[in-house]
Amino acid sequence: MARIGITTTVPVEIILAAGHIPVDLNNVFINDKQATRLVEVAEDAGYPRNICGWIKGLYSVVVDGGNIDMVLAVTQGDCSNTQALMETLELVGIETIPFAYPFDRDCDMLKLQMDKLIAALGTDWDSVMAVKRRLDLVRGKVAELDRLTWQENTVSGFHNHLYQVSCSDFNGDVDAFEADVDQFVLQARSATEYTEDLRLGFIGVPPIFNDLYDHFEKMGARVVFNEVQRQFAMPYQVDDLVQQYRLYTYPYGVFRRIEDIKVEIEKRNLDGIVHYVQSFCFRQIEDMIFREKLDIPILTIEGDKPGKLDARTKLRMDSFLEMLR
Amino acid sequence: MFCGIDLGSRSVKLVIMDHNSVQRSEIFETVQFYRKYGSPTPEGLVVDFKAVGIGEISDVVATGYGRNTINIVGATVIAELKAHTVGAIWQTGLTNFTVLDLGGQDSKVIKVRNGKMVDFATNDKCAASTGRYLENMATVLGISLEELSSYQENPVELSATCAIFGESELIGRIVEGYSVPELSAGVNYTIFKRIKPMLTSLKSETVIFTGGVALGKAIGKIIESELGIQVIVPKYPQLNGAIGCAVHALGKRR
Repeated sequence: MARIGITTTVPVEIILAAGHIPVDLNNVFINDKQATRLVEVAEDAGYPRNICGWIKGLYSVVVDGGNIDMVLAVTQGDCSNTQALMETLELVGIETIPFAYPFDRDCDMLKLQMDKLIAALGTDWDSVMAVKRRLDLVRGKVAELDRLTWQENTVSGFHNHLYQVSCSDFNGDVDAFEADVDQFVLQARSATEYTEDLRLGFIGVPPIFNDLYDHFEKMGARVVFNEVQRQFAMPYQVDDLVQQYRLYTYPYGVFRRIEDIKVEIEKRNLDGIVHYVQSFCFRQIEDMIFREKLDIPILTIEGDKPGKLDARTKLRMDSFLEMLR
Repeated sequence: MFCGIDLGSRSVKLVIMDHNSVQRSEIFETVQFYRKYGSPTPEGLVVDFKAVGIGEISDVVATGYGRNTINIVGATVIAELKAHTVGAIWQTGLTNFTVLDLGGQDSKVIKVRNGKMVDFATNDKCAASTGRYLENMATVLGISLEELSSYQENPVELSATCAIFGESELIGRIVEGYSVPELSAGVNYTIFKRIKPMLTSLKSETVIFTGGVALGKAIGKIIESELGIQVIVPKYPQLNGAIGCAVHALGKRR
């Protein structure tokens, strides 16, 4: 049983079917009390200062005592820096397996990638599908938690983010994660309703800031839609696993993401969108597409290093809420 | 009397207004202001208004960079972009325009329609295109900020808008033999190039140009000629945010 680090959401069913433990390196990095130090470890090793903070964090989690046996790296469909991350990990002797989402969502290409991963980890489709059915139950429960967020208004933006983002690796222990979700949902069903006057959607990669959701709530607004996190949780409930990973919008072009976002804007009755972009990330360019295609006020905020929101970003968030009121 | 305070990154602007006009204004260097007149308490920052030397005031409204970090005891705090919007409306009487505020360390563009902010943009985490950049460039050229901001003809091509790396590029151009007016015009043009995308996406027929940088003439003229729009510099460009605060206080009282 190996601990397999993943650089973003991958067909986690395959890792689990092979009897290994998936570890989302992003979650380990951002939950580390010394996340800033992890960025510095990578910079000391030679990572440029003007490169994404997440990539540096991921590198350090693996090389700096993360107890990771090998890394499954998504070389297409997530972050173009991952290729160099993989190479620098190989340089220090870490075994890596590449995984690529085909840009055009080609069914055969995606299936081939999954076949190769199944072969590399030494499992088979029957075992994978058994895990898929097990995970569908958990995914259904997380989808309910999401519904409680926007429809019953009893879940905070942060918890909505946390439980959905955790579906990339189910915290490495599906049963324990499911029990945690069960307990949370039970409490949320009878929790007091939030009464904020503004409902926000959060689009883009998960934030590197640790107080973003709290700050919005302090200012009388709540995030009731976490776009990419919801995609990580895959609430689609389809029988076919290849199809499930084709419905997953995040690794393919931006336009399918926009279709998904448009539906949720209407359904969740959003007042505004917060587009989070990571410093030095190619996704910053896509901001212009969102602004062109989405007919809703958008605030773009940029994060670099882990930690609290800076005064400038808070100022912009406050002004945005002011504008929406 | 109503008091508006704009806690900027480089300077603190304070105005005292009655119902019709600005009665008094002060500009302090930010660090000096906090040292001289402020004392931190568990409730927030207490400003010694007596020591500042302003008389009896009924309401204090504050805004600025420190909106979230500094909480002035006894003051209502409003969002900075709102303060600038309100200030610009009060100063010009207009309700449809774009505010361009170039301050000490940040730049803001606010689109206003029917007296309401409808969109905004601010500079990225970098002091390029701000007063700090101009100050550094003026120091390199050995001229005053006022002189620097008066040139717009025959600009030298400068690519770096970084407040730090811009210095070495400018020195390179000095060595190449360009004149001070050409170099200064180049500096002013880099400011324009930096803010052009923001001004274009939030365009109005009229731009109300505020902040310390608006005190210079060249940048406003460049914007007018390059974008074909009207640029208005109100009577108190640097005090616009503070005026917005005082007007807000006044509105609350009415």
